[in-house]
Amino acid sequence: MRLLPTAAVLLSLACAGKSTPPATRSTVHLRGNAYARGFSHGEQLKSRIQSFYTRLMTASLYPYLGREQPDIATLLKEYDGERYQNGNFAYALLLDSARNLEKSLTVSQKEELRGISEGSGMAYEQILILNTFVDTVLAVRGVALSIRLARAPQLKSLEVPQAASDGADNDGDGMIDEPGEGVLSAYVAEAAANLVELPTNATFRVVLEDADGVDPATLRFTLDGALFTPGAQVSSRALSATQLEVTFTPPQGLPPSAVVSLVLSAGDTVVVTRPPPSHQSFMRDEELLFTTRGRGLAPPDVRRPPITDGRTRAPSLALALRGAATRDGKPLLAQHFALLDANVAHEHTVQFVHHPEGAPPFVTFGWAGVAWGFAGLSARGVAYACNPADTLDNSVVGSVVEQLVDLGKARLLAKGVPIGFVGRRILEGTASTQAAVELVQTLKHPYGWSCVVADKAGDLRALELDSNVFTDAATGVFSYGPTDLDASGRRYGSVRDDDLLSTSVFARNRDDIAPLMLAGQRIVPQRVWSTFFFRGRRAVDGLARRVEAQYGQLDAAAVQGILAESELVDGSDSMNAVVLEPARLQAWSAMGQVPATEGPFEAFDLAAEAAP
Amino acid sequence: MSRALLLGALLVAAGAHAAETTTLPKGAWAFDVSYIASNLANRWGDDQSRLPLLDDIRRYEPGAGLQGILQPRPVVAFQLAVLQLQYGLTDWLTVGATVPIALRTAVDTNIGWQSGDYQSALGRAYSLDDFWAWAASMGQQRVPDRWAGNQGVLADIVLSGRFLIPELRWLKAAGLRVATTLQVALPTGRQAPPEELVTAGTSTWELHAYGDVETHLQIDRPFFQDGYGIPRLSLGADLWFSYFRPRVVTSPLGTENPLLQTFQPYIGDTYVIDPGEWLAASVSMDVVPIIGPARASIVSGGDLERARALPPLLTLNVGYAHIGTFQTTFKSNSDLWSYERERYWLPGEKNQLRAGLTLSFLRLGVPVQVYANYRNQDLIPGRNTRAANTLTAGARLLFKFW
Repeated sequence: MRLLPTAAVLLSLACAGKSTPPATRSTVHLRGNAYARGFSHGEQLKSRIQSFYTRLMTASLYPYLGREQPDIATLLKEYDGERYQNGNFAYALLLDSARNLEKSLTVSQKEELRGISEGSGMAYEQILILNTFVDTVLAVRGVALSIRLARAPQLKSLEVPQAASDGADNDGDGMIDEPGEGVLSAYVAEAAANLVELPTNATFRVVLEDADGVDPATLRFTLDGALFTPGAQVSSRALSATQLEVTFTPPQGLPPSAVVSLVLSAGDTVVVTRPPPSHQSFMRDEELLFTTRGRGLAPPDVRRPPITDGRTRAPSLALALRGAATRDGKPLLAQHFALLDANVAHEHTVQFVHHPEGAPPFVTFGWAGVAWGFAGLSARGVAYACNPADTLDNSVVGSVVEQLVDLGKARLLAKGVPIGFVGRRILEGTASTQAAVELVQTLKHPYGWSCVVADKAGDLRALELDSNVFTDAATGVFSYGPTDLDASGRRYGSVRDDDLLSTSVFARNRDDIAPLMLAGQRIVPQRVWSTFFFRGRRAVDGLARRVEAQYGQLDAAAVQGILAESELVDGSDSMNAVVLEPARLQAWSAMGQVPATEGPFEAFDLAAEAAP
Repeated sequence: MSRALLLGALLVAAGAHAAETTTLPKGAWAFDVSYIASNLANRWGDDQSRLPLLDDIRRYEPGAGLQGILQPRPVVAFQLAVLQLQYGLTDWLTVGATVPIALRTAVDTNIGWQSGDYQSALGRAYSLDDFWAWAASMGQQRVPDRWAGNQGVLADIVLSGRFLIPELRWLKAAGLRVATTLQVALPTGRQAPPEELVTAGTSTWELHAYGDVETHLQIDRPFFQDGYGIPRLSLGADLWFSYFRPRVVTSPLGTENPLLQTFQPYIGDTYVIDPGEWLAASVSMDVVPIIGPARASIVSGGDLERARALPPLLTLNVGYAHIGTFQTTFKSNSDLWSYERERYWLPGEKNQLRAGLTLSFLRLGVPVQVYANYRNQDLIPGRNTRAANTLTAGARLLFKFW
């Protein structure tokens, strides 16, 4: 009988020893000078930094980028060199750019990275790469993606024959049934609706072109979520060896007085085997937008409806609110960032609270080993959030341009201040949105970014950045506020005067680069090739609907709810979501799971940290 | 004394039957050889749900979302030969050595696939073949459909001793016999090679059938004994504690599986597995449907009376064991990595049903017993344990009796 209590004790010990999951998010306070804060960061998060680097870089991105080596080396012979062999290609490529980007960092930023390195026991080069790879990889990916899409079928023209004589203005030019109405003979993707006020019996005729020919079997049309493949509704005929005319006839016509989205995709006839898996070259999902008779909207005023075809995911997005938009009139900045979780990043999320010597504290939302976040808030009352925006006006393209005379020695090099360090400089050195804009205008940017800045006074500005490779008037920084209007007199990214909505799509910098040929490759604007373009436009419109519906009632809780709505969430690569109040110095963040908003928003009081 | 000839299975405590307290007579030797076939396809979850041995693995393409979900449904088959040699130092103390040898371990990986996000680069979502082609381009070879190994590989050798507690007056009055057993495993088994993804080792930790050190307290109560002491029914119980020593394991570098096994840079050169101990109890019942004829022979020293006291011709055995398993901890440089392993080894339990039979030819003058038993962990749900089912068949040869 004496055994029984003993057994009970042992069993209770067994239960007490049950393993509990380590936190996938943490808050780390960093104090002192830049090196001390970096060292503390590295020391406190040593294990997680090593894990993050190994899993994301060594076991994921490096081998992934390594797949591109043969193709890149075909054009740029330098990458056939010994330094890039034996699986070292991606590391060496990213290190080349990291060292180039390092030149643009401030002394204190480099000191902080050195501190992270020495605190964590990792090589400085590894920490440098971890802090710079995003801009580089996005730029290289942009180049690779645009090359790939250039090999795929192109949508050359679109025609709705019924529009020619339907008695309506279908293209918003103020004329009815003029010659050529209903025909987009040189199709270019646009944010606005392609045609409006179409008759419900409309049919769609498109011409696709590919140097290798278009494979009719790969045609897909999706009309408001319903899929149509070659058959009664989708017919095609070859116009030439490279052109295919395709006609789509909606089976029951189009709904009246409706917004209609038609998604088109197709592949070519050549199977590409490298890099694996084998595949034909597919165009991006091209989303055509229409209205039918009675809707009464001009093309730029049509908002994209949600698409639930299982193929599309929301991109990163941000919104800023103030005055009449918010319940208390105070400014508010929010972001849901999605890019590259890879089932890794969410386990390494950190809220960093910096307490610099002799300066106000600030907070960033990022990852172990990374000195910055894509969003942050300073006790000076400035908040920012940045989302990637595809562009070929990027520094890697610029590096090829600079080295055109000898492509044999050319390398892909990013140049400028990585966006995360731009954010850090905003938090550390500016006290207003205006000052932040002026700071950003003095910096060079390695890639395209779409940022929103808000300050405690309620000044909201969007900043669209590119590398300004071909030197345009805006020096690579395009700024606008809620009341700024485009050439058509419409807001760039706002519902009313007190909100600003932004995603991975340029609104003001819409012609980010003039089309040209470079080293045999087509260089085209974002809207022509970016796979984020239509997704981004849809996300802005989804945000707009929600903000409009709750105008004046929006507060941190309401915005958290918007950020978590499935239409606006990337279920695979969501990384973090934040709501920041620059006037009250309050922050809420959701991170540590995928999607980030599957978990609760946790509050942080920066005002308390700033109190003397 | 005659009961002393019926040997207990010392190899695996849970394999003992109602004759929990048997010891060899002084000077007697027993040699036992058995074949074990074990099959493992499921584990029990924390809520006692039946789960595959491994969780699904979500695979992502950097920046392009979910490629798909690998759904491994492995089935593991172990085959072992077990050699035992025991010796009766005294009538109340038997010592022995058990040598388990893995004959073959086979793993059928049975990897299924659930497609993930649409990949615009392919114009489709990844199929399983697409995924492996993609992985191969990054140096990760396809996981084999089947792995077989451990042919003739030694497992951890066990040294054991069973002590029959003297029959105190109150024990005798109650008809009870009590024994204790101590068994110690020597680290002669093989750890699974660190770089291989589909493999199996042969140490106590990997076989998860017996501990490195086990102490047993066993009790027997025979009923309906005939005039020669042969019971028609025996009830037995065994309470035991198994200790597993912590072990240092080499971390994989990812040389063979760079996408799936690159751990060393962040978990350290080695990590430590500290297996959870076991606290267990079993009950068992022996039924003797046929005692059988007896004849004087060399086994009985030519004495018919002694022959009639030898074990019955047929003994049937059923039993149940409840094995409480403590948390296994992993210690590495990465708490996250360690936790991902530990969550497979949360505190739990095995519920083991057992049935078997023993044919003894001692009464007939042949110093051999043959036996077979089947242990099942599938029928009664366990918790956080693997549900191995095991078939054992063996024979014992007795060298000397007294």
